[in-house]
Amino acid sequence: MSLVADPGLVSESEDVQTRTRGYASYLGLKVLGAIGSLMFMLVVNFFLFRVLPGDPARTLGRGRLTTDAQKAAFNKAYGLNQPLPEQFWTFLKNTAHGDLGISIQYRVPVSHLIWERLWPTVLLVGTSTILATVIGVYLGIRGAWKRGGRFDKISTSLSLTLYSMPEWWLGLMLIAGLGVGFWFVPGIFPTGGLHSPDVNPSSLHGILDTTWHLVLPVTTLTLAYLADYSLIMRSSLLDELGEDYLLTARAKGLRDVQVRNRHAVRNAMLPTTTIIALNIGFVVSGAITVETVFSIPGLGLLSIDALQAPDFWVLQGFFLVASAGVILANLVANLIYGWLDPRVRT
Amino acid sequence: MALGLVLGSLLPAMALGSTAQAKDKVVFHVGILGEGVDSLNPFLGFQAPSYEMWGLTYDYLVGYSMTDMSPEPDLATKWKTSADGRTWTFTVRSGVKFSDGVPLTAKDVAYTYNRVLHGTVEQSNWLSYLTGVTSVTAPDDTTVVMKLKKPIATLPLLPIPIVPEHIWKNVSEKDIKSYAAEPSGGKPVVGSGPFRLVQGTADGSTFKFEANPDYWGGAPHLDEVIFQFYKNDDAAVQALIKGEIDFVEGITALEVKSLQGQPSITAHNGNSPGFDEIAFNAGSIDVKTGKPIGNPNPAVLDPKFRHALGYALDLPTLIKKVYQGGGLPGTTIVPPNYKAYHWEPPADQKFTFDLAKAGQLLDEAGYKKGSDGLRTLPDGSPIGTLRLAARSDSPTSLHTMDYFKQWLSDLGIKSDVSTYSSSQLTGVIYKGNFDAFQWGWYVEPDPDSMLSYMTCGQRNGSSDSWYCNKAYDKLYNKQHVSTDQTQREAEIKQMQEILYRDSPYLVTAYSSIGEAVRSDRFACLVPQPNPGGVWLEQYGVYNYIHMKPVSEASNCDSATAGGELSGAVKATSSSDSSSSTGPFLIGAGVVVVLLLVAGGITMMRRRTTVGDRE
Repeated sequence: MSLVADPGLVSESEDVQTRTRGYASYLGLKVLGAIGSLMFMLVVNFFLFRVLPGDPARTLGRGRLTTDAQKAAFNKAYGLNQPLPEQFWTFLKNTAHGDLGISIQYRVPVSHLIWERLWPTVLLVGTSTILATVIGVYLGIRGAWKRGGRFDKISTSLSLTLYSMPEWWLGLMLIAGLGVGFWFVPGIFPTGGLHSPDVNPSSLHGILDTTWHLVLPVTTLTLAYLADYSLIMRSSLLDELGEDYLLTARAKGLRDVQVRNRHAVRNAMLPTTTIIALNIGFVVSGAITVETVFSIPGLGLLSIDALQAPDFWVLQGFFLVASAGVILANLVANLIYGWLDPRVRT
Repeated sequence: MALGLVLGSLLPAMALGSTAQAKDKVVFHVGILGEGVDSLNPFLGFQAPSYEMWGLTYDYLVGYSMTDMSPEPDLATKWKTSADGRTWTFTVRSGVKFSDGVPLTAKDVAYTYNRVLHGTVEQSNWLSYLTGVTSVTAPDDTTVVMKLKKPIATLPLLPIPIVPEHIWKNVSEKDIKSYAAEPSGGKPVVGSGPFRLVQGTADGSTFKFEANPDYWGGAPHLDEVIFQFYKNDDAAVQALIKGEIDFVEGITALEVKSLQGQPSITAHNGNSPGFDEIAFNAGSIDVKTGKPIGNPNPAVLDPKFRHALGYALDLPTLIKKVYQGGGLPGTTIVPPNYKAYHWEPPADQKFTFDLAKAGQLLDEAGYKKGSDGLRTLPDGSPIGTLRLAARSDSPTSLHTMDYFKQWLSDLGIKSDVSTYSSSQLTGVIYKGNFDAFQWGWYVEPDPDSMLSYMTCGQRNGSSDSWYCNKAYDKLYNKQHVSTDQTQREAEIKQMQEILYRDSPYLVTAYSSIGEAVRSDRFACLVPQPNPGGVWLEQYGVYNYIHMKPVSEASNCDSATAGGELSGAVKATSSSDSSSSTGPFLIGAGVVVVLLLVAGGITMMRRRTTVGDRE
């Protein structure tokens, strides 16, 4: 975009005007782009899953749909006997009305299914992402600031070790250690599930019970995600450390903490911000391995089950939500960038 | 975050409070592994756990015996057949009530069956049991009359849950395909079964049932049954050891072995009425034109070749190494659980692991060894490489095929193993692009549907071996309408003999299901079939009604002669102590963590100041 003229030639008020207009059209373009990507995903999703091998009536109905009449009744009820173009048209029409179809496997509306599975995933992955971000960024800053020190050595090797551990193994170790107990240490956390079977999850007791159940899975995911943030934060802060402006800041007489927090960290945060924005987008995609180990009924498990059938409507719905999550997070990140740094807009 | 920790520390105390309150209730916690409940609507679901849910909620016209799953009175107290076998009259028990107080009559039975006969999606699950039924009527409240075109040999087995007409008549044909039949607004699902579902939803991970105190067969000894679905074996096994659950279903033979050492747990491998097999492509064709499709190796199309390979399978080794001892070597497609129908090959026909004999049979059939040590086709051209397919979702599948590959190579036949997901493999099978694959089936108490999968008419339907034999089909059609039980059993055995000779399937194993129970808490579980069978996921829900907490287990119900898990194993209090010390330790742990965090922050503050001063 060449809307911004040479700043030297325009007066102050005009400059402000151009900047505002510039941001408005930047915003418009980005939103249009996001909608475009979403539309594209919608079409790709439909055909992507039709290419998958497998016939739901044969996979799900193995040993149940034994006669042709039974198979025909099943296919007719769930629209699987229609020719592909017709199915595509139905899909577009229904999606436009906010109807994601009926799950072939569970025979309930897909939107209901996804909505029910969304909150466990958001609780699990969202909490872990936030915790990993806060702790990881902190570890990265401390490590880089005293590079080569004891703290740095321990935190870097620890987060690398955790990063290279398979999530399911880490989860199982936590279950064995803190869930079941060992030696004379009793297990204090439950081994799986989102909450106890006989509590109402929206009551206070239910919320506390859910928190209690989520301690181990959230710890697992947080530990696994930690290195993502701490290593990137550490290396980008290291890049800043040699810069002249830090010397200037010190020369002004700022205290060490102020130099670090007000100058170095602020500039080093940009790459980390990108990662955070991207990972927040991926929250709704779930965490398949950890959901499996701890038997948490989240979106990750739903998508795996759906892939086996294949349950076309659930897959489409899930990928729509997952891609919408990423696209939305990217859009927000772009908008924040454009606002923070005018150079990005051109 | 600190707030969260404090709240977290309060929690176990509250949890303890609720357990104390619920102490008088007898709650049976069941952990189930594998697939979950796909629908609570009995017209829709396919998965085994869904049947368990319907079995607790609803009743059946005819039940299954515990010894061998033969028909037994349930809602129907007796039944009779007309001389021509085309009219069945059932007498329905009177005094049965649905959980909302409305009486269950013969009209509800007729309504349920008619809904299947004349419905849309209702047909998908149940029509095969009523194929050939022309009408079902209820002339009075205790009589159901079923008219047939031709006799049906599988009657009176009718595993269709009887639903209340006064509820289901409001579910239209349009709505039923996504009708959930779940508890709503705090009201349980209406049924006449021994329990009622108060909490749970299709695809959910927990389901809660309350006993039906007015059950016609007597109130169950459990107050509640709670199902918890696990996706991970280790977590489920640990939950059992810890006492979070009282029963676990679907564990491996290795886990059974490890649990057998635990004092308060009883574990076993229950024989389930299913088998695993190595299946061959016996002739993939386009059913419309009759022309061959796919690319099977000419060798596997030959029954003599397939039969010879039956002597190249070391089944005891497979059971020991691949199934870790859980299961029995297999012979035919009707498991020995069904004594009346199972054909056991006589010693001179039975496959033994005998590579010399296999080689000799191959030589006789013309598959002689060439100069390179590899066997050739009867016309002298090389056999090439056989394509063996295994399922990626089952470790036993891959291991079985790896062993098979080794034995084939000992015979001078090259082969390759590829893995596919189940749905992928289904696609490969229906295109005919395979030589052999590993899979398995569950066989219902009447083997009719299993036998039908091997008929010519099921090719491109439920048949996966593309097997077709006119003599077999003739016997199938004959036994299907037979009214003479002895003759039918003889025909079914003859069919198995034909299959054994033609070997479209080489049955490798009769599978088992690993189960374990907290025998310090519950007793009086009876296996089905008795002895040797499974405790839960049976045909029917006998154990949920008749099992008892250990404190009342001195007299198990009399019908349970032999083989049951009776008598109290010495009760241990390990779980109790852990649950009472738990909250204290958590609280203490939280305090320590808080102190550490606070201490750390203070230290950091001090260190920064020191750094700044320098």
